Amino acid sequence: MTAKIKTATLIERRYKNMDDFEKQLQRQSLRKVPGEWRVEILREGRRISVPEFNDANRPFLGKFLSTLNRKLSTFFWPHPKAWAGLAVIWIAILFMNVYTRDSRPVLAKQTEAPSPQVQLVMEQQRRLFNELLGPTTALEADRPKIILRQPRSEMRRETAMA
Amino acid sequence: MPDTELERLYDDHAQALFAFLLNFMRDESDTRDLLQEIFVKLARQPELLHGARDERGFLLRLAHNAAIDLMRRRGVRGKYHEQFGAEMVSIFAPAGNPDEEAFRAALTTALAELPEEQRAVVHLKLWEGRTFEQIADALSISPNTAASRYRYGLDKLRERLRPVYDEL
Repeated sequence: MTAKIKTATLIERRYKNMDDFEKQLQRQSLRKVPGEWRVEILREGRRISVPEFNDANRPFLGKFLSTLNRKLSTFFWPHPKAWAGLAVIWIAILFMNVYTRDSRPVLAKQTEAPSPQVQLVMEQQRRLFNELLGPTTALEADRPKIILRQPRSEMRRETAMA
Repeated sequence: MPDTELERLYDDHAQALFAFLLNFMRDESDTRDLLQEIFVKLARQPELLHGARDERGFLLRLAHNAAIDLMRRRGVRGKYHEQFGAEMVSIFAPAGNPDEEAFRAALTTALAELPEEQRAVVHLKLWEGRTFEQIADALSISPNTAASRYRYGLDKLRERLRPVYDEL
């Protein structure tokens, strides 16, 4: 650091005495910044700084969104067009995905209850299948007993006889 | 940032930043955009200036970086733009007499012919009165580089302006 300052000082000393040509250049007065720019630029600056100025009065969500916006703006700033292009591509992909999606309902939703004829055929096949296999105890045991509806008095008599 | 503080910053530094950017970019519209970009940035992030010892130096650095960013964004298109627009913009105020006017016109052309990095150093040295160390800080180069760029730039200007200068 000291060496750097020393070098800089030496350089300054070497160039300290400007010659006439440099002085002539230096004398040329520069253009003034256009007056109307002040109003426009400060207005734009105020527009940006107003939300920050009222920071204490804003709800948490407002503060959070403002901070998020600021951070994202800073992040996206170097190449806003590139990010915008990327966003457009994402939206296009999403759109194509939605557009080309199979709109037919899924198979499970499509199936309806079989017609009475089909049920009859299936019942016949089931019976035939049972006959071919023969009665199995396991199956009988598993099958729930069918209790026929009877008057209560008869049911009580059956119980008494048993 | 409070409005008064932004106004104070503008009044203190806008003129210097304007002249530097106009000389660097050679385009008034770009200068306007960059100047606004800098002050909007300051309004959005007032904390940027909190650690700055040399406010002007910091803002010049900000301006230089913004200008470089803009030129990079433009790429090749910017180079053509610069070539065609180089002699159109003058950074100097109109002069009182014809000789001075001729000198300023020639100086404008000669400055436009310098490479940007030499032009930036020459501007900061001559019209901002910055030291080489301050220039080095603002442009992120070493003081030696700043000094040599100044020397090369000045030699080219001297060569280019000799006929007009001798008439003065």
